[in-house]
Amino acid sequence: MIAGIWAIGLLAYAQQGQLVTGNVVDTQGEPLPGVNIIIKGTSTGSVTDFDGNFQLQVPDAQNAVLLFRFIGFEEQEIAVQGRSTITAVLHTSSIGLDEVVAIGYGTVRKRDITGSVASVSGDALQAIPVASATEAITGKLAGVQISATEGSPDAEIKIRVRGGGSITGDNTPLLIVDGFPVESINDIAPSDIESIDVLKDASSTAIYGSRGANGVIIVTTKSGVAGKVTVNYNAYTAWKKLANKLDVLGAYDYAKFQYERAMLANKPENFTDYFGNYQDLDLYREVKGNDWQDQVFGRTGFTFNHNLSINGGGDKTRYSFSYSHIDDKAIMQMSSFKRDNLTLKMSNKPHEKVTLDFSLRYSNTEIEGGGANEQNEISSADSRLKYAMIYPPFPVSGLTNSGETDPDFNLYHPVTALRDNDRYQTRRSYNMNASASWEVVDNLTLRTEVGLDDYKSDDQRFYGLTTYYVKDRPSAENSGMPAIIFNKRNRDSFRNTNTLNYDFSNLVSERQSLNLLLGQEYFVREQEEHTTTVHGLPETFLLADAAALPAQGSPYSIENYYSPDDVLLSYFGRANYSLDDKYLLSATFRADGSSKFSEGNQWGYFPSAAAAWRITGESFMDNTQHWLDDLKLRLSYGTAGNNNIPSGQLIQNLEVRTTNYVNGFDSYWAGSKTMANPDLKWETTVTRNLGLDFTLLGGRLNGSAEAYINNTKDLLIQFPVAGTGYDNQYRNMGETQNKGFEFMLNWVVVDTRNIGFNVSGNIGFNQNEIISLGLMDDFTQDSGWASTEVGADFMVAEGGSVGQMLGYRNAGRYEVDDFEGYINDNWVLKEGVVDSSPVVGSLRPGSMKLYDETDDDLVDVDDRVVIGDANPLHTGGITLNGRAYGFDLSAAFNWSYGNDVYNANKVEYTSTSKYHSRNMLTIMEDGKRWTNLREDGTISNDPSELAEMNTNTTMWSPYMQRFVFSDWAVEDGSFLRLNTLTLGYTLPSDLTSRLRLSNFRVYASAYNVFTLTNYSGFDPEVSTRRKTALTPGVDYSAYPKSRSFVVGLNLTF
Amino acid sequence: MVSCEDTLEVESKSALDESVIFSNPSLAEGAVAGIIHSFGETNSYRGRFILYYGMNTDTEVTHSLRDVNDDKARLSNYNTNVNNGQMNSENNAWAKFYEGIERANVAIRGLRTYGNVENDAYMAQLLGEVLTLRAVVYNDLLNAWGDVPARFEPITSETLYQPRANRDEIYKQLLADLEEAATMVPWPNENRLTQSTERINKAFVKGLRARLALAACGFGQRPSGLARSTDPDLASEKMYAIVKQETLDIINSGTAELETFEGVFRSLHREDYVAGKEILWEIPFDAGRGRVIFDLGVKHTNADKYTAQNRGGSNGPNPSIFYDFDIDDVRRDISCVPYEWTDGVQVPTNANKFYFGKYRYEWLFEESGRRVDAPNDDGLNFIYMRYSDVLLMAAEAINELDGPAAAAPYLREVRERAFPNHPEKVDAFMAQATASKEAFFEAIVDERAFEFIGEKLRKRDLIRWNLLGTKLAESADKLQQFENREGKYADLPEKIYYKTADDGESVVIYGLNYGDTDEAGAALGYAENKTWKLNSDSDVTMYWEALYRNDPNSRQFWPIWQVFVDSSNGQLSNDGYGY
Repeated sequence: MIAGIWAIGLLAYAQQGQLVTGNVVDTQGEPLPGVNIIIKGTSTGSVTDFDGNFQLQVPDAQNAVLLFRFIGFEEQEIAVQGRSTITAVLHTSSIGLDEVVAIGYGTVRKRDITGSVASVSGDALQAIPVASATEAITGKLAGVQISATEGSPDAEIKIRVRGGGSITGDNTPLLIVDGFPVESINDIAPSDIESIDVLKDASSTAIYGSRGANGVIIVTTKSGVAGKVTVNYNAYTAWKKLANKLDVLGAYDYAKFQYERAMLANKPENFTDYFGNYQDLDLYREVKGNDWQDQVFGRTGFTFNHNLSINGGGDKTRYSFSYSHIDDKAIMQMSSFKRDNLTLKMSNKPHEKVTLDFSLRYSNTEIEGGGANEQNEISSADSRLKYAMIYPPFPVSGLTNSGETDPDFNLYHPVTALRDNDRYQTRRSYNMNASASWEVVDNLTLRTEVGLDDYKSDDQRFYGLTTYYVKDRPSAENSGMPAIIFNKRNRDSFRNTNTLNYDFSNLVSERQSLNLLLGQEYFVREQEEHTTTVHGLPETFLLADAAALPAQGSPYSIENYYSPDDVLLSYFGRANYSLDDKYLLSATFRADGSSKFSEGNQWGYFPSAAAAWRITGESFMDNTQHWLDDLKLRLSYGTAGNNNIPSGQLIQNLEVRTTNYVNGFDSYWAGSKTMANPDLKWETTVTRNLGLDFTLLGGRLNGSAEAYINNTKDLLIQFPVAGTGYDNQYRNMGETQNKGFEFMLNWVVVDTRNIGFNVSGNIGFNQNEIISLGLMDDFTQDSGWASTEVGADFMVAEGGSVGQMLGYRNAGRYEVDDFEGYINDNWVLKEGVVDSSPVVGSLRPGSMKLYDETDDDLVDVDDRVVIGDANPLHTGGITLNGRAYGFDLSAAFNWSYGNDVYNANKVEYTSTSKYHSRNMLTIMEDGKRWTNLREDGTISNDPSELAEMNTNTTMWSPYMQRFVFSDWAVEDGSFLRLNTLTLGYTLPSDLTSRLRLSNFRVYASAYNVFTLTNYSGFDPEVSTRRKTALTPGVDYSAYPKSRSFVVGLNLTF
Repeated sequence: MVSCEDTLEVESKSALDESVIFSNPSLAEGAVAGIIHSFGETNSYRGRFILYYGMNTDTEVTHSLRDVNDDKARLSNYNTNVNNGQMNSENNAWAKFYEGIERANVAIRGLRTYGNVENDAYMAQLLGEVLTLRAVVYNDLLNAWGDVPARFEPITSETLYQPRANRDEIYKQLLADLEEAATMVPWPNENRLTQSTERINKAFVKGLRARLALAACGFGQRPSGLARSTDPDLASEKMYAIVKQETLDIINSGTAELETFEGVFRSLHREDYVAGKEILWEIPFDAGRGRVIFDLGVKHTNADKYTAQNRGGSNGPNPSIFYDFDIDDVRRDISCVPYEWTDGVQVPTNANKFYFGKYRYEWLFEESGRRVDAPNDDGLNFIYMRYSDVLLMAAEAINELDGPAAAAPYLREVRERAFPNHPEKVDAFMAQATASKEAFFEAIVDERAFEFIGEKLRKRDLIRWNLLGTKLAESADKLQQFENREGKYADLPEKIYYKTADDGESVVIYGLNYGDTDEAGAALGYAENKTWKLNSDSDVTMYWEALYRNDPNSRQFWPIWQVFVDSSNGQLSNDGYGY
């Protein structure tokens, strides 16, 4: 409607002057419909019809210049010069050399790049319906590994550029949205994104100095484009189902094993109290078990997403506005996700030398549900997936109907457990940026930017009756009653950047170009956290009641924590020089001062340099010109820094905390559990990059290959110092190296008016090595999924890499032959047979057997070896795009190869540990597991009988005293996933134009279509123990992934 | 544009610096709480140390002992693994003890620097408290692990990794610290703070100094062998002199006195913390934190009117000590309880499962009206020292220095309290005990056994006397004889005979005493009886075999757990400790 009135207005304006008609075609002479034509410097324009024809009233036909714009083609300007017919030939822009790439405090044409930059344009993001920007670039960029840590709608997405150099630190790259550093890019609507550029080597990242060591991801959002007002409307709905289920024992087998377990444990009451007499076991054959996985994760999820954007403007003012909304009901009960985004961008040119820009982004995210685990857990006992897996499949009197659970059973009804671990989170952020550019004198531009980012999160975490928290934390009078923790965080950041850019084109010869950037930046981040804990709520309360009526309970603690400000003061400069468009040089220098370090260590200096040689520019390459369009060799060397540690690590100040441990005191003063370190300084990464870019066959084949070696030294490590008086300390120690190779290729196989097909693929190899750990050779880390039962299960050692899993090598099971026999009521091992009892507990035939690595015939902690590595050898993706007569088809694959997954779920679901009455996976079903049970219900200790009973079984006995991490639980996590498959249809433009639309597309998509993998768990793309970076690739209590089917439409007016 | 230097200096808004905290009395007191907070951490005193330390001896055993390869049993049967699942975690007592020490070290530095302790008596008292709390933690570290790292200054980067120090050096430091602390901390009830047994008073400081002096000059396993200290500063005579001086100071101060034996423990459960009686100091667990009854007390197998917490009795008295008691010793039935509660009624256990009757949910309910309904914690304080310990330490030291006659009054005082209605037995006992210095020493060894069951003092006593192996072997023999009704147990009945008393909840048991017979028992016509045995038919390991699985003297101390060895930068090892 509004658009209509606008259009009439434009039409009225265009009623004078000369009528210009014309035709627009591509290089093959095929007419191009839908091309935007604008009279330069005005907002007057027109669009080509189905046959590529257009007509336009041009007021000043002598001097006017027409601007032709079409997605996928290079922009072209044609002076009218009084003509009345004009034919325009547009060149496809798939070569991409003139595409502009963001490189930090400026942009550069792709052809002029000297560093390593990978880019995805907004168009590529648009076609695929995804909920977040990170999802959209999965598998699309070489050397950028994006992995979802689990399947929940708000799951943390891990982004790694070339592996990441830090050991304990956060290896997340620096995220910049429209110049502003942000914590997350997940709150940006994918439809708002113009492009994503990833800076990978230090020559590119050095301009961000201090924080560029892990790469920089620059997101540029869409700005207004001069011309006719366009209105886009995109919508989709999706249905989701649980992608994969794991089989557990049926009712009879479950009960039967409980009997054997009770007999082996010499606690027959563990069976008789709950399941009755052994003689009646057959009754359980009739019982149909509940499918808890289905009850908890089995619902059909439903997503609705739509987005409206309006875009337009004239020569002086341009604007864009967009609104997006996504509403996602997830597959897990009580789990949902909602997000609203509002974006406004304005640009004004009040004077030909001055440009003013203003942008505003708002996002509001609401997340319901507690998920299946959490990183900030009180105890791994509160992880929820196990309830849906190993809870008794049928009601068991005394276990499933008891108000108090037996600590040796320690499971709760799966749905109750969800209700009791409920959570509601909202995250709200406002980001405002304003900038002014002034061309002071010719070629000298001064630019000032001011930005403000305000982030607020509100988290309500409810702990119900069954949680470990309410048993452990509240004081006596409130123990065992529901509790709620309200956590509010505010984070305000302010940024001011001033740059001066001078283009020396008037001072240097025609053959050369020189561009100089000087800048200064000030950044401050204030952070505060308010936590209010209420205990002793009425037993009937659930999250909603607790959140609304907290006064029904008693306040336990009210704590406000104001972090020391994080201030960064920087000076930087960059020079780009080129000679004959053949020899390119760029040099960058940045100095950063950070308040996180003490005087003397505050300033970090990060220089870098890069050179590129356009080989095809040389005369000796003249005879390859007919097939080789462009060949460029790049070399760079540079440094970048990292200060990604919490502020306030320099002095051991004392903090006040609430206590309910000490009689007579409500609070206490003590130092933080993290030991201060006044000597902290910058972590520095030196990168070396060699790249080759090529474009062949008129742009139909292009790609690049790169090799790099990155060394990070003075690593900022959060180092465990338990036993000294503190839990850990940040330190600079050690050195790591990442080296690798990346290759990417785009091939336009067919590209005619009606048919097109292209393939693009990328692969990145990265190898991480710890060169030095400073004063240590190695240290271990505990992933903690089984509380203290497993102990240290990751190893950080010189010569290794982060993510090495430490455990025992599995040697199968003890057979009857391993024993002298059953002597004096005891199974006695033969001389020379390895004794695994220190790890697996007391032995009998069928017990799990482990390898002895130390040749002392005894398996104990010294026999742990590295049994897995979470790092992939390579990752990558392939995208296929085809179109034919209005239909488009795209398929996006991504893969990871050579990484191991630590399947902790499998350990928990196949061994009893100290617990009774828990169900198991069918890996341990009757006939597969070792059995000691005779038909008559007694335990056999007769060697030949046991051997006979187990001739066909292959697994060890699940009965063991504790969980054991062996290489059996380390699985190959390689996978190839068809991430998205989309089929769309675009209405022919003659039809669309009759509907007064400029574009109309409908599509159907499937997400997570299939995954080829040998992994036996829910999904190999998983990492749930992320409290430290040292324990990646653990699959414990992950929210299972879903598969979804999407239908949607794109509309442009 | 922006001045660099000032810009990059930022304030810590939610934290205060030592100069502020330790110059302000009310804030400085919060630092004392910070130390005790570490005691209450999940796997510190609260969940691990009080439960597992000190088992097994001739008086105290873990009830899990028959699963000899179970981690819980292994902590007690002198065969622990360095990765013991109960202990091998970064937040174990070991780490939390050093956290408490670091907090104490920071507070000591802060108070000495900013607290004006020379002129400000209150701040001086806080310093004395902190010095004493630090000594408490070191006492337990030394008891459980032998030689341990010595940290008496706040950690710096240079001192982060420390090897085990010679325990002699630590003892000397602690003795000096407590000597100083005693000058700063008032006697019980001398000022407001010392009115409570939850705060440190001079009697406790001196008592702890005496306890440390005895340990310092006693035997112990060292990497160099099992021996007394060879340090001349810790020579026995010097240490006994300290013990004599400190204990007599307490006794002569008149600020502590014996209650009735049951009365002390009822006082503990009354939770009124009145100082000036028998309890000198107790670990001040909050009502919702601490597991003293939960782990050590008389078990309630299900919720009843006294408690909603169905716990108790992970440990209990060694059955042999029950049969060593004189039948008229009132301490026996308070210390060793042969029943547990089911459905609100006392039901006899088996001979292998006595409970420490010093800790009872029913007393907590009766004395302070508190019915525990938290599932994990009962919040009862843990007694760290009683006046009877002071008397027995005085008797022990004075016997060594001045002979049995001089020492006799102190032993007699404890003995008389145990036999309130049988002075003739006390006289006879004292006559025997004072026959010689050796006899008197033997009497002290036994008396401390009877007096402190369930108070976790026995293991350390046996080690310092070099009697750990001997007493455990004796105890194993006794248990086997008992099971077979041989030797002094030959006439004990095979069964016990019992009924519920008229009050509807107490159990009346016949058959536990010397002189009882099966004939007489059966003739009573009680409703029920059961065979009173240590082993059941299915047992693989006999009860007495489960007591220790290695020579106790080869593993007197626990190993430093693997996680701490792993993260010690090569400074820590268990070499020389049998692991």
